[in-house]
Amino acid sequence: MVTRSKQNGARPGLRRALVPLAAIALVLSGATLVGQGVWISAKAEIAQVLLARAWTRAQEGETAPTPWPWADTWPVARLSVPSLGQHAIVLAEAGGEALAFGPSHLAATPPPGAAGTSVIAAHRDTHFAFLRDVEIGDEVVLERVDGERVLFRITHTEVVHADRSGIQPEGGPARLALVTCWPFGAVTPGPERYVVWAKMVETLEV
Amino acid sequence: MTSHARNAAGGQAWFGLVIAIATFAASLLLWSDAWADEGPQTPDGMVRLSEINEGALLLKTMDHGVYVPAPMIATDIELDISGPVVRAIVTQRFENPSEAWVEGTYVFPMPEDSGVDRLRMQIGDRFIEGEIHERQQARQIYERAREAGQRASLVEQERPNMFTTSVANIGPGETIIVQIEYQDIARLDDGQFEVRVPLAITPRYIPQDVGYLLASTGSMQNSTVPDADRITPPLMLPEGEPEEGLRLPVTIRAHLDAGFELGQIAGRFHATLVRHTAPGEASIELANGPIPADRDFVLTWQPADRTRPSAALFTEEWNGQTYMLAQILPPAELSADIPRRPRETIFVIDNSGSMAGTSMQQAREALIFALERLHPTDNFNVIRFDNTMEQVFPQAVPANWENVGTALEFARGLDAEGGTEMLPALVAALRDGNADDTSRVRQIVFLTDGAIGNEAQLFEAIHRGMGRSRLFPVGIGSAPNTYFMSRAARLGRGTFTHIGQVSDVAEEMENLFTALERPVMTNLDAIFPQDAISEIWPAPLPDLYYGEPVVMTARLNNPQGVMILEGQTAGETWREQLSLSDATQSSGIATLFGRNRIRGIEETRFQGANMEQVDAGVLQTALDFHLVSRLTSLVAIDATPARPSDETLVARQTPNMIPDGWDFEAVMDDQALPVQHASLDTALIDQLRPGLDPSQTRLDENGLPLPATATPRELLTWLGALMMLLGLIWLLTHQERRLW
Repeated sequence: MVTRSKQNGARPGLRRALVPLAAIALVLSGATLVGQGVWISAKAEIAQVLLARAWTRAQEGETAPTPWPWADTWPVARLSVPSLGQHAIVLAEAGGEALAFGPSHLAATPPPGAAGTSVIAAHRDTHFAFLRDVEIGDEVVLERVDGERVLFRITHTEVVHADRSGIQPEGGPARLALVTCWPFGAVTPGPERYVVWAKMVETLEV
Repeated sequence: MTSHARNAAGGQAWFGLVIAIATFAASLLLWSDAWADEGPQTPDGMVRLSEINEGALLLKTMDHGVYVPAPMIATDIELDISGPVVRAIVTQRFENPSEAWVEGTYVFPMPEDSGVDRLRMQIGDRFIEGEIHERQQARQIYERAREAGQRASLVEQERPNMFTTSVANIGPGETIIVQIEYQDIARLDDGQFEVRVPLAITPRYIPQDVGYLLASTGSMQNSTVPDADRITPPLMLPEGEPEEGLRLPVTIRAHLDAGFELGQIAGRFHATLVRHTAPGEASIELANGPIPADRDFVLTWQPADRTRPSAALFTEEWNGQTYMLAQILPPAELSADIPRRPRETIFVIDNSGSMAGTSMQQAREALIFALERLHPTDNFNVIRFDNTMEQVFPQAVPANWENVGTALEFARGLDAEGGTEMLPALVAALRDGNADDTSRVRQIVFLTDGAIGNEAQLFEAIHRGMGRSRLFPVGIGSAPNTYFMSRAARLGRGTFTHIGQVSDVAEEMENLFTALERPVMTNLDAIFPQDAISEIWPAPLPDLYYGEPVVMTARLNNPQGVMILEGQTAGETWREQLSLSDATQSSGIATLFGRNRIRGIEETRFQGANMEQVDAGVLQTALDFHLVSRLTSLVAIDATPARPSDETLVARQTPNMIPDGWDFEAVMDDQALPVQHASLDTALIDQLRPGLDPSQTRLDENGLPLPATATPRELLTWLGALMMLLGLIWLLTHQERRLW
C-alpha cells in the first residue's frame, strides 16, 4: 500500500499541489480585476456623496471648495434631468482626474447659460449612463454656484469623432452639449462620442 | 482547499472594498475637520475663479456688495535706468464706467526683488502723498476714509511679486489716478543687462493651495499664503476683449544711462524704438504704441565692448548714512575648461494629478533628457511622487548603461495621478548616504509645478537636510509656483529653471546642465577696511553659477578704502579689489539695501528664526526705508469727503463726465486709442470664468477636442469574472478527480 502510493503517486502528487495553486491564483487575479471594476463605480458613487457636501459649501459662497483635501477639482454646477430622475454634481475640469468623480465642465467652454456652447462630459458607464435614455424635448436643469437655475431643452443628438467634434464653444446662443463615449455598452474605449445638444429655454428665478 | 481559496479571493475583494470605503470616510472626516476651523470664505457673491493671466480691475459696487468688472484704462510705466539701478514709475488710471460709487481693486505684478516705496494719488491738480503704515493700521485708515466718503488709495503686498492697489469712492463716470514707484536692479547675465517689467500675473492654482494647506499644516496661522480671494481677480477671456483698442493698454518708456558705451539695445518680446541721445545714453519706447498687459516686457542692453570687465560700484547718501551697491562679474575664463567633477544627481519628478496633460509630458521629457546626459562616472537616482512615493534604486547608483536604461523605462511609464505630497519625496532626496564624500558634487533636480501650500514646511526641510546637496528646482507648465521654486533654489543654493512649453525642454535643460556641470564659485566674501562697514545683504553672499555676477548691497560707516572680493572656484581663488572712493553717486541704493534686508530677514524664518523677531525686523526695516512689505502698506487719503453721505447706495441716472482737472500728462499723451467701456450687464459677468492659457483655447475647424469618457470597468469586471469562473471550475474538477 505504502510502496504503491510512492511509486504511482509521485507525479500526480506534484500535480495535485500545483493545480489548485494555479487555480487559486487565477481566482485571486480575477477577483482583483472585478474589485477594480467595482472600485471604479464605487468611486463614482461615493465621490458624488462627498461632492454634494462640497456643493453646499460652494453655494454658501466658498471659493472653489475641494470635496476632499487633495482633490484637484471642485463643484461648479448641479445637473438634473427631471424626466429620468437623474442628477449629478458637475466638476470643474482642472486636473486630469475629475471625470472619475463626476461629470466635468470643460474649462475651454463658457459656463452653462452664457452665450456659446457649454460642454459637460462624463463616463458612459457611470454618471452619463442615463444619456442613452434621454429623448428629444426632455428638460435639463443646471443650477449654478451663484444660485441661478438655467433650463435647457434637448434639441437633437449626434455621434462625432473625438478629434473632430465640430463643437465651437464660443459664440451663438446659449447651448449645452452633454458628451459621453459611444457606443453605449461597448467594452473597450473608442474614438466616437455621443453628443446630446440642448438649447437654453429660460433662466428660472430662485 | 477550494472553499478556503474561495474565501481568500472573496475576502480580498471585500477587504479592498472595505479599505476603500474606510479611506473615503477618513478623508471625509479630515476634510470636515480642516474646514470646520476655517469656516467658509465668502467673497461677496460673484463668479468664483481660480486663475489669473493679467491684472484685472474689479469694481466693488457699494450698493449691492457685488463685484463688477471694469476696464483698467491705462498703465503708464517710466523707467529711469542709471547703471544697473532702475527707478520705475507706474501710473494707473482707474475709470469707473458704472453709475454707482465704487471701490476699485487692481491686482498687479511687480519684479520680485523690487522695493515699492512711493504712492501718490492725483485729485484734480493736487497730489496726495502716501504714507507708510503697519499693514493692519493702513487698512483701518483706508477703511475709515472709505466709510467717510473720502477718496483714498492703498497699496498692499500680497506676495513678494504681487501687489494690490485699492481705490475708494470713485464717483460715477470718474477717474482716479494712482502713481506707484519702485526701485529695481537690472540683472547682469553673461555680459548682458536685463530689466524685466512684469505685466502678466502667473496664474495661481488657489484651490489646490487651500486644499493642501489645510491638509498639511492644519491652520492658516503660520502660512505664507494670504487670503486666496485677494489674489484671484477674474480673467477676461480673449473673446471678451474689445475689438479695437486695448482694455489694459500699457505704455512703457525708458531712459537709459548705462555708464558705458552702448552696444545693442532691444526689447526681448516687444518691438522698441531706440534713440541714442548722448554717448552711453538712450531713450527707448514701444515701437507700435501701447501693448496689452498679457506678457512681460523685457529690455536688454550690452556694452559696445563685450570683453570689458563688468564691475559697477554705486553709493548713495541717505539719512546721514552711506549705502553701497556692487555688481561684479567674475571673469569667464575662471569658470571654463575646468575638468568635470563627478557628480551625484538625484532626480525628483512630480506625477501628481495637477501635472496631468502637457505638464507631465514636459516633465517626462526633461527627465529623459537629463538621464541621457549622465556620464558613466556619475551616480544618480530617480524618485517620483504624487501622494505616494517611489525610488527607482534604494540609493544612488552608478550611471552605467544598465541603470540608466532601467531609469529611462521608469520615466517613460510615468502617469499623472493622485495628490501632491512633496515633503516625503524631498526628505528622501535630501537623505545623503555619503555626506562626507567631498569628491562628488551632490545635486537634486526637482521637476514639479509646485502646486503646494505647505511651503514653510518644505523650506524648513531644505534648510535642515541640505548638507552638501544643492537644490535645482525645475518649474513645469505654464503656471508653476515660481515664488516657491525661486525661494527653494536660494535656500538650496542652486538655480531655478522654468520650462514653459514642450519645445523649451531641450534648451532649458541644456542651460541647467551648463550650470550643473560648471564649477560653482563658493565661499564668496567681501572684505572691507576695519570699521568701514556696518551691514551687508545678502548675508552670507550666495554661491555663483556660471555667468552670474556678485550683487551685494551694504551700509557703510566710512566710504573710503579698498573692498576686496574673494571666492573659490575649483581650488582656485578669485580676488578682485575695488576702491570705494571710485564709486559712482546714484539714487535708490538705500531702497535696494532695505529691500534686500527685508528679504534676508524673511528667509531666516525658514532657518528656524523666531517668528516674532522676524516680524519685528521686517516691520522696522520697512518703516525705516518707507517700503511696502508683508507687514506694511502705503496709504493716501484725501481730507475732503467726495461722496455725499446720502449718496451711499443709490446708482445715478447719468454718468458724469471725467471731472475737470483729471488730467495727467503722462497718461493723457496716449489717449489716442479709443476708450472702451465695459457695459454693466450680467452677460459680462458671465464672460468671466477660469481662464486657460490662450494658446490652449485656440481651436481649429475641427472643433473642441473631446475627452475620453470610457472606463475599463466592464472590461475589468468581465475579464475578472471569467478568470474567477475558470479558476473555480478548474478547482472543482480537480477536487472531483481527487474523490476518485
